[in-house]
Amino acid sequence: MNGLHELQRDFSAFVWAGKTGLGERIVPNGFEPEQRLAIYRNNTLIGLTQALRDVYPVIEKLVGERFFHRLGRDYIRRYPPNTGCLQTFGDRFADFLAASGDVCGQPYLPDTARLEWLRHEAYFESDRAGIDAASLADVPPERYGGLRFELHPSVRLLASRYPVRRIWEFHRENPAEDGRLDLDAEGGCRLVIFRLGWEVETAPLDSDGYRFLTGLQAGLTLSEAASGVLPNNPDFDLAALLRFCLSRSLFSEYF
Amino acid sequence: MAQRHRLSGAPESIPASAGIGLRSRHFAEITESRPQIAWFEAHSENYFGPGGLPLFYLEHIRKDYPISLHGVGLSPGSIDPLNREHLQRLKALVERIEPGLVSEHLSWSSFGGVYLNDLAPLPYTEETLTHLAERVEQVQAFLGRQILIENPSSYLEYKDSSYRESEFLAELARRSGCGILLDINNVYVSCRNHGWNEAAYLDDIPAARVGEMHLAGHAVNEVGGKTLLIDTHDRTVCEDVWKLYAAALRRFGPKPTLIEWDADMPALDVLMGEASKAETLLEEAHYERAA
Repeated sequence: MNGLHELQRDFSAFVWAGKTGLGERIVPNGFEPEQRLAIYRNNTLIGLTQALRDVYPVIEKLVGERFFHRLGRDYIRRYPPNTGCLQTFGDRFADFLAASGDVCGQPYLPDTARLEWLRHEAYFESDRAGIDAASLADVPPERYGGLRFELHPSVRLLASRYPVRRIWEFHRENPAEDGRLDLDAEGGCRLVIFRLGWEVETAPLDSDGYRFLTGLQAGLTLSEAASGVLPNNPDFDLAALLRFCLSRSLFSEYF
Repeated sequence: MAQRHRLSGAPESIPASAGIGLRSRHFAEITESRPQIAWFEAHSENYFGPGGLPLFYLEHIRKDYPISLHGVGLSPGSIDPLNREHLQRLKALVERIEPGLVSEHLSWSSFGGVYLNDLAPLPYTEETLTHLAERVEQVQAFLGRQILIENPSSYLEYKDSSYRESEFLAELARRSGCGILLDINNVYVSCRNHGWNEAAYLDDIPAARVGEMHLAGHAVNEVGGKTLLIDTHDRTVCEDVWKLYAAALRRFGPKPTLIEWDADMPALDVLMGEASKAETLLEEAHYERAA
């Protein structure tokens, strides 16, 4: 397999690193071999940049088209796809942005990218029906505390020091709001991302709700998850939070 | 595996008529208006996720139309081992959708587990043929069905190629038992780029192996005063490619024919218009065959 192995190695080295070891094996037919290879390199870079753009439209708006293009090229060379299916490509973009230092003086970029990625994941997650309040009707009240809930496959939790949901709302396609966002006044946020029907939604949680859902996600019972919150906040409205979860189909099963 | 309820209302097999590529932009319109088209072709990898809206639409549309699944990421020609996870996902999708045809490309796209997201050309050598025939057989055994292999558009040729592309494709089909997806636009683009003869290309291809044809638009690029055609799938089929398609129909008889369009997506009507041009030529071919 040597001939084919070397050819694919050298072709890849040209696309990813501009190394021109393959030239001698290519029929020139009026062009430099590198001109011919460059068509394939461009196809790769243009296609993958477009794939990133599709997942991260808000980041592109925040940094501008030209800078996004540059960030995309760097990301693609650093974390090229490791499957032939692009749905998982771009999964490390938030970490890449975080490691890139203060990009454009916008320290909230990595968490905003995380939000876009989690929404992307939620969009393709499994279809499961959520349980509603009625399906809990047969459970005797004394058993409530011992119940465990399986979160719907699309559910993702995200905490940030920055108001990334509001930033996302301001920069999404057809934003519902405009004007200026006062980052300091807004402060951080805790979010639950989920798919309701076919639409991906992002809802804010308070810190107790976030801690409670994190507990349920880790497999704690209802009373265990609530006891992580209640001692610090006796006013924690567990019933309201459960109503919210059931109305948004955040639980797919209980046992 | 539990016995599954049969999903489809529409038959499985793809008729020798014109179909169009299924793209997300047209999902809602297709389910609402149920356009008069014989079949759709979907890009397999766009439906590899475990759920969500694209898969919902694909299943929904499958109830009314036969579907062909066309892959771009399996990388049949790679030296890398076949990606088992990719194959597994493809098989799961095939079981779910019950497609009439499943196809991939005469190309490679990964080396060392890193994917180019493009269809890179292969040298047409004995070594490649042995390798590819074995891989195609593995894929067919795994899926439990025949696949079609499509000729790519290419922008370079290797000096060590000892087969013509068309000969290579015919020999691959003979050795592996696969069918051929003959992309007429790709035949045109590659013949023009490399100075191959279009008629000779068609002559090399055994008619019985051709399971499907593709039609698409390409761009004409000037590089340093010379012309290179680039396969772009972003415009209507050009007149020369229609002529070559007519020649292919005379040689191979009517075959399922897809209008491919992937970038700068137009309104569904534009695709339907292209499909109806193909349908007219297909009907003539049916008529000539009967006469």
